[in-house]
Amino acid sequence: MNLLLGALTLGLILSLLAMGVYVSFRIFSIPDITTDGSITLGAAVAAVLLVGGTSPILATAAGALAGAAAGALAGIIHTRFRINALLAGILVMTALYSVNLHVMGRSNVPLLQATTFATQGERLGHTLFGTGPLHLLGWPVAPGDLAVLALALLAAVVVGVTLYVFFRTDVGTAMRATGDNPQMVRALGADVDRYTILGLALSNGLVAMSGALLAQYQGFADAQMGIGMIVWGLASVIIGEALTGSRSLGLALAGAVLGSVLFRLLVAVALRWGLNPNDLKLITALFVFSALVLPRFLARRRGVAPTARS
Amino acid sequence: MLELHGLRQTFNPGTVNEVRALQGVDLTLEAGSFVVVLGTNGSGKSTLLNAVAGSFFLDEGRIRLDGHDVTRWPEHRRAQLIGRVFQNPFSGTAPGMSIAENFALAARRGKPRGLSWALAPNLLGALRERVAALRMGLEDRLDNAIGSLSGGQRQALTLLMATWLRPRLLLLDEHTAALDPKSADQVISLSDQVIRRDGLTTLMVTHSMAQAVAYGDRILMMHRGRVVHDFRGAEKRRLRPEDLIDRFDEIRRREQLDEGAATMLSDLYV
Repeated sequence: MNLLLGALTLGLILSLLAMGVYVSFRIFSIPDITTDGSITLGAAVAAVLLVGGTSPILATAAGALAGAAAGALAGIIHTRFRINALLAGILVMTALYSVNLHVMGRSNVPLLQATTFATQGERLGHTLFGTGPLHLLGWPVAPGDLAVLALALLAAVVVGVTLYVFFRTDVGTAMRATGDNPQMVRALGADVDRYTILGLALSNGLVAMSGALLAQYQGFADAQMGIGMIVWGLASVIIGEALTGSRSLGLALAGAVLGSVLFRLLVAVALRWGLNPNDLKLITALFVFSALVLPRFLARRRGVAPTARS
Repeated sequence: MLELHGLRQTFNPGTVNEVRALQGVDLTLEAGSFVVVLGTNGSGKSTLLNAVAGSFFLDEGRIRLDGHDVTRWPEHRRAQLIGRVFQNPFSGTAPGMSIAENFALAARRGKPRGLSWALAPNLLGALRERVAALRMGLEDRLDNAIGSLSGGQRQALTLLMATWLRPRLLLLDEHTAALDPKSADQVISLSDQVIRRDGLTTLMVTHSMAQAVAYGDRILMMHRGRVVHDFRGAEKRRLRPEDLIDRFDEIRRREQLDEGAATMLSDLYV
């Protein structure tokens, strides 16, 4: 049960990452590697502030803002300097590695003594349900863990709903159209470059917020924690699309959250069954590869089958 | 309304792919005039339209529109004055978004976009009414993705979007060329209807002689980046498609003559 609870909480925290990747990858069709750097940046900024005694909400918001700035920078490099989006992301990600080390002052900041959203959640759980184990569907559950899970769920729902509302406003609609048909957006008087920069800022802001929460949940920020995060985000988005099956905005966002949770559950089960943790990224990359290739492959098979019969 | 002074544009200068697309175009459009631009392939007619729309910045020349010097305005800024329909039905709409959302974008052409709800109820009401007037049965499908519609339906909707806020200038770039004959007829007559109703100043590129003769009040014939004929008033009304074809043949013959003369002269003297 603790394994399940942990996987759910982690999945919900990383669902912000998944929604961020959804914005860059699905709405703007940009596989934005800045993600790997901005998730660490969010964690680093939040961790340093938390150690300094800042409240968890402010520290998380500051982390998100830092990530948004990094995303905007990648957007500016891509649009104003006409550099390929992938390369722009690689440049910012690489630069962020040094920036993150400077922010933290070392490669790892532990949060053992700091007040974080996780410690606050635990305290909340204890005041609500006491310190003894609760019984949920017959399983013993630590009330602190349950409260942290509830907070993570709250964060995912609030961010998801806000994002949905935002994408239905005038600005948000124009942003979605920018990814869909930039020529049309220009002809309707919107600055495509500006919306692309704004979109990447939004995406990386979400990613960094996810990083800030992740650092608080796992109790440290680490310079290496961002490696491969874009692929985890992609995996969640793809699983989400398979679950909800629709490209409509609300379902896609819900799918990203569900995909992230399901992905963490799968990972937890696989690790429990003895998967070598070192192989996790290899397997995730293979999974994303096959999820991207499989639909095309199946379509070709379907296209070939009738002619083979005739 | 629209004044063009000495427009010159060369693409890929100094390379083997050099194209002198515009070689000194001067043109004045009065407010409310409907001008048809005809020309052979590569005559510079689409380049002219794109120059006005701001798809690129000119090598030389000035563009004044509605009292503003827009020569250095970027494309998206000019869009507050200009409505456009493209040749490709896929260019004018966002395929993954609903009909209503596409119109929500068009309803804010050239205006600042804020955080208000895009699909405002009063917009939807007006939209249903105007889309119903198309008689394509689309008024009940406003939530459907525009990508699921036919080319003709998309061009009709793009036209409606381009003219939703009355543009100072409407640019139609061979907007029926990619459609089947029936849809093309529908879209061109719808265009004419909207242009007349709102008295829109219009620049329409086409390579259909029949359309050029049947619609508009002035024909510009372009060749090699220049305006070579300008028919208006009674002369325009008397034109038949055959007359236009004759003019094109004449241009072609004169050109062959020029080349022949040049070879002869070079044989003799060089």
